[in-house]
Amino acid sequence: MTVQARSSTKRKQLDHDEPFTAFDESVNMEMLSDEENGEDVESDNGDVDEFPEIDEESSEEDEIYLGEEDEASGQGSDNGEELDIFPKAKTIVSDITSQEKRVYPEIEPEYDSDSSTEDAPNRVGDIPMHWYDDLPHVGYDMDGKRVLKAARGDELDRFLETVEDPNSWTSAFDKKAQADKPLTAEELDIIRRLHANENPDANYDPYEPLSEWFTGKGKEEIMPLSAAPEPKRRWVPSKWEHKKVMKIVRAIRQGRILPNKAKSTSQPQFYSIWSESSSSHAPPLPAPKPPLPTNSESYNPPEEYLPAEEEKKQWEETDPEDRERDYLPQKYSALRLVPGYDRFIKDRFNRQLDLYMAPRVQRVKLNIDPDSLIPKLPSPNSLKPFPVYKSLQVVHGHMARCISVSPDGAWVVSGDEGGVVGLWEVNVGREIKKWKFDGKIGSIEWCPRTDTCYFVVGTEDMLHFLIPPNLPPSVLQLTQSTLAPSTLPPAPETPSPVKWSTPSSNTWTDDSAILTVHLPSSSGLPTQITWHRRGDYLASVSIGGSQGAVWIHQVSRRHSQAPFKKVRGKVQLVLFHPMKPYFFVATQQYVRMYNLSEQKLLKTLQPGIKWISSMDVHPSGDHLIVGGYDRKLCWFDLELSDKPYKVLRYHTRAIRSLHFHPTYPLFASSSDDGAIQIFHARVYNDLMTDPLIVPLKILRGHEVTKGLGVLQVKWCNRHPWLVSGGADGAVNVWCS
Amino acid sequence: MGRLRQKGQAGAAKAYVTRSSAIKKLQCSLADFRRLCILKGIFPREPKSKKRANKGSSAPTSFYYAKDIAYLAHEPVLKKLREHKAFAKKLSRALGRGEWSNAKSLEENKPVYRLDHIIKERYPTFIDALRDIDDALCMIFLFASLPSNPRIPPSLIENCSRLAAEWQLYVTRSHSLRKAFLSIKGVYYQAEVMDQTITWLIPYQFTQNIPVDVDVRVMLTFLELYQTLLGFVFFKLYTDASLVYPPPLDAKRDESAAGIGAYLLQETSQKAEKAAAPKVKVVEIEGRQVSGKDVYKTIKNMASSSSTDADDMDVDVSPVENDSGDAEEEFIVQPSKSDAETTSSLPTLQSLKALPQSINTSLFAPYTFWLSRETSRPIFEFLVRSFGGKIGWPTSSGGGSPFDEFDESITHVIIDRPIVEQPSETDEQREMRLKRKYVQPQWVVDSINAGKILLEAPYAQGRTLPPHLSPFGEYEGAYDPAALANEAAAEEESEIEDEDIEIEDTAPENAEVLQAVATAAVEDSAALRAAELAAEAAGIDPSAFEKEVAKSRRKSKKGSSNDVDETETDMNKMMMSNKQKKLYEKVKHSQNKRNLARSKLEEKKKHLQKQKRKLGQTT
Repeated sequence: MTVQARSSTKRKQLDHDEPFTAFDESVNMEMLSDEENGEDVESDNGDVDEFPEIDEESSEEDEIYLGEEDEASGQGSDNGEELDIFPKAKTIVSDITSQEKRVYPEIEPEYDSDSSTEDAPNRVGDIPMHWYDDLPHVGYDMDGKRVLKAARGDELDRFLETVEDPNSWTSAFDKKAQADKPLTAEELDIIRRLHANENPDANYDPYEPLSEWFTGKGKEEIMPLSAAPEPKRRWVPSKWEHKKVMKIVRAIRQGRILPNKAKSTSQPQFYSIWSESSSSHAPPLPAPKPPLPTNSESYNPPEEYLPAEEEKKQWEETDPEDRERDYLPQKYSALRLVPGYDRFIKDRFNRQLDLYMAPRVQRVKLNIDPDSLIPKLPSPNSLKPFPVYKSLQVVHGHMARCISVSPDGAWVVSGDEGGVVGLWEVNVGREIKKWKFDGKIGSIEWCPRTDTCYFVVGTEDMLHFLIPPNLPPSVLQLTQSTLAPSTLPPAPETPSPVKWSTPSSNTWTDDSAILTVHLPSSSGLPTQITWHRRGDYLASVSIGGSQGAVWIHQVSRRHSQAPFKKVRGKVQLVLFHPMKPYFFVATQQYVRMYNLSEQKLLKTLQPGIKWISSMDVHPSGDHLIVGGYDRKLCWFDLELSDKPYKVLRYHTRAIRSLHFHPTYPLFASSSDDGAIQIFHARVYNDLMTDPLIVPLKILRGHEVTKGLGVLQVKWCNRHPWLVSGGADGAVNVWCS
Repeated sequence: MGRLRQKGQAGAAKAYVTRSSAIKKLQCSLADFRRLCILKGIFPREPKSKKRANKGSSAPTSFYYAKDIAYLAHEPVLKKLREHKAFAKKLSRALGRGEWSNAKSLEENKPVYRLDHIIKERYPTFIDALRDIDDALCMIFLFASLPSNPRIPPSLIENCSRLAAEWQLYVTRSHSLRKAFLSIKGVYYQAEVMDQTITWLIPYQFTQNIPVDVDVRVMLTFLELYQTLLGFVFFKLYTDASLVYPPPLDAKRDESAAGIGAYLLQETSQKAEKAAAPKVKVVEIEGRQVSGKDVYKTIKNMASSSSTDADDMDVDVSPVENDSGDAEEEFIVQPSKSDAETTSSLPTLQSLKALPQSINTSLFAPYTFWLSRETSRPIFEFLVRSFGGKIGWPTSSGGGSPFDEFDESITHVIIDRPIVEQPSETDEQREMRLKRKYVQPQWVVDSINAGKILLEAPYAQGRTLPPHLSPFGEYEGAYDPAALANEAAAEEESEIEDEDIEIEDTAPENAEVLQAVATAAVEDSAALRAAELAAEAAGIDPSAFEKEVAKSRRKSKKGSSNDVDETETDMNKMMMSNKQKKLYEKVKHSQNKRNLARSKLEEKKKHLQKQKRKLGQTT
């Protein structure tokens, strides 16, 4: 309630204040404009204009009001007169309603009667006449009878009328009278005034003299408003002002203030600024100087500095910021022909931008010979012998996947993907024997025992033990008794999924295997076979199968076992430690080292390789090299750390195989780029000395087929010779 | 556990301030901040980690040292800038209200900042200041040549040209100019003042237009600083040389466009001494160009006395000049004649570099030059005067020439127009022409850079000029045009020899046999012996055979050893660590780039030479 009331009052106030606020606003605006533009004169004019307008309105209103009053009074007086004049009415009985009614006599229009001059019969009053637009009449006369619309001619008649009647242009249609009426002189005058933007009232005088209400003679205030006596300060000069003035006067006298001081000069006065001692503050570093001009900037450079057309075009096309130099060398035959340089100011400006906007950094410039960065290693010539050239080549029909060299280093067996295993001699390459198997040969490995002589071939789900021909009888006998003893060892209590089978002794030939190990079905191709150094145990890794991909076989007991119940990751490779009962297992990314006797994990090596492809352990057993499909080779010092001691990346494609030489300080790596890299790897017994790795030689000779290069490399035991099998089917022997 | 450290309380977050926060802290506009930075020499820094300096944001911003900004906060100039802002408001209000007297008094008491303390701060010692005037000189010379416009008032240009003239006067007076280089951008000069090399660039005399994308405000702010700096530096230089600073301007001479000659160098020492000294000197002067006794009494202006009085003035300027004076005396007899006779081939910059670099500051002392109408007077007047020469010019190049064209003493005319036959030549003119040497302007600059008077013949009027090389040199191992020319000549000779030999050989087949045999024989001695026999059988001269063998041996040796070395180093690169490998690649890349540029130029040169030879053969 209260709120409503207040709001209503507010509105009232607003209504009341409206003219004032509007005025204020206008004034404010003027003031604003004044501040902004500083055009006082115009705004003042505006103010002057505003005031009389408001006055005018009010006066007009007054006038209108007065006019109305006049009319009303006039009407009133008319009525009075009529009352006096009117004749008395007769009372008769109506025919229709049979009731009494008063009837006035007909008015006789006399000469002086008011109505005689009035020729407007329509008495509808001041109503909108369009109400009658659709009706045949336009109102009612005094007697209540309809006043019919006068017949009006068509457009042509009207036009003719305008032509004929000279007054037609000063006449207007009167709807009440339904006729054209000529305008009076007063009305025409009003129209003229409106047209001329004048006040329509002819009697209005904009310059009438001011009537003084409050000032002027006889209107002075005689009585004082307050009885207080006039203060002294009105007529005594101010003491404080005097003091202030005197202060200034004294200052002027003493010369502290110069009344007409010379203008503040912008001309700097120079003096010996560096004569007094400088502060201990260190000076800021000086800005770097721009580079000095070179020969190409000369007005007359040697001809070779001039840019060719292409260079010119290239210079013009490059972004100005990317250009090596900000000008094009030009040659002029004489100094007088040299034009002005149009980018001079721009250059200067850029320099200044550099000075104050570019961040400055102090950089240590490396002034070193790049060749000094290359490590100084002993020359390969001093580290001989190592394989240098290809001495012979044995060609297989398919990719030579796997090779193995006999422990005495005289024979090589090589297997290919076509299932052919060849036995040949290292020195001359004569092939002694060929075996043919079904399916690919996955791996091949010679038994390290020297008293017996046989090798193992891995094919699909099977391991074949083969004896080379032409063995001395004693060796042959020992081999046969080792692989197929007359009294078989007792079968294990728990049935193993791996079956060992030997054909009966009378069917033994050189062409067939003396002993076959059947791995569990669907275990796939054994990709790796590795022997324990004593030659009794061998481990195989198959690509198929899940966890049981790794098997350790014991030849003497004809027994196989899976060392791991569960292996994290897919096993890629396994290795026996050459000295200790350790076992290396390489999964895709890690190499784990197990102690077989204690059956526990010793350490996990992290080579940082995405996918391990190959691995070999140094004959001393303290160092391990791991190669990966991502071209990296990691050298681990097993005593030192789980992280590689050195990571090398030199092959352009994946590393396929690695091998340490059993006796010489050499190792080789082969890669899919078709190259074999020979390294000198010297390991010291002294723990403080780091192993020395020197790249010796890159052997090229294998062709890359189907994206595969050299698949396996093996060293001959007693010579610094290397045997390599490639995807092109060639098995090469490299000699020193 | 150590103390907990809050983020953003220490380290880069505290040491650096972004520009916007710096402006907020200083409570000034960006324009004022820029002005302050220019005046105080504060520039943005590059933090090691932008993220750490900018509260974890890596948006591109410029950083300043927080300490720098803290210093700025106490800068008196900043206070003055604020006062100026208030003043501008007051003035505009007074003008708006039409309070003219008020506005006038405000204008009179306008706050003006001085840069003295900044100069002292930025350059605590005079040497610091001198080291840094390169840019200042460039700007002064540029603005001295600019036309005035509403943004650049004529008074500013006048001041700049005054400073420029003062510097040139000092350099000519102290003979400290060392090198000059006519480039397409303008003329580079290098002077050595107090063991500091100062290089500046003056544009050629053409009207410069200020491009639209250049912020004149920034340039003017720099100019403000540079004017003050140069004022103080020149004051020190002039007073050290016991000269009056600023040198008074002779209005009459200035009106006749006398250039730097309009300024009068006044000695600060006693007048009495001055009066006495020239009287003794009169004999030396030989009566030439003595403008009047009154001049000697008080003024020694450059135009009349620079060359003649240089010696005795130098004596009291500095001991260094003393030496040069002595050198000059010895030199007078030697330089022109002996050098002219001995240097038969074209003297190039390279060959001159090999000579011991002794600066001869009075190189042109024995000569008198006349500038032809089309040569630029300011450049050559400055160059010749700086090296002790006397120079005159026609009135069309400005007033103040000490002698006219028909003066007997003129030895060289610097002329830069093609030769025009003058049929109607009187004997007198002919004699005069033959007496003088007409050289192109490059001769002056090349002589200065060479440190001796070069032969005039290659630079004679109308001749095609030898290339003008930069005296500042290039980076080490850059292409050297002069060196290649010599090499190329040597090679050519050898080639010609080879050709001769081949021509001498009776049959070309023989030569082939010889070559094949020789290459085969290099490997071992037995084969060599056999080859020798074969050669004899083929009827080849034994000496030719030996030569060929030696050649092929050299070739094979070079090839094989190089091959081995390369493979070895390639393999050794395997053993580099990743970091080293990257660094190696980087260094190698820049080396290769340089080598490429060099070889490109060399190839071009060879190509050009071949073309020239062909042209020579055909004609």
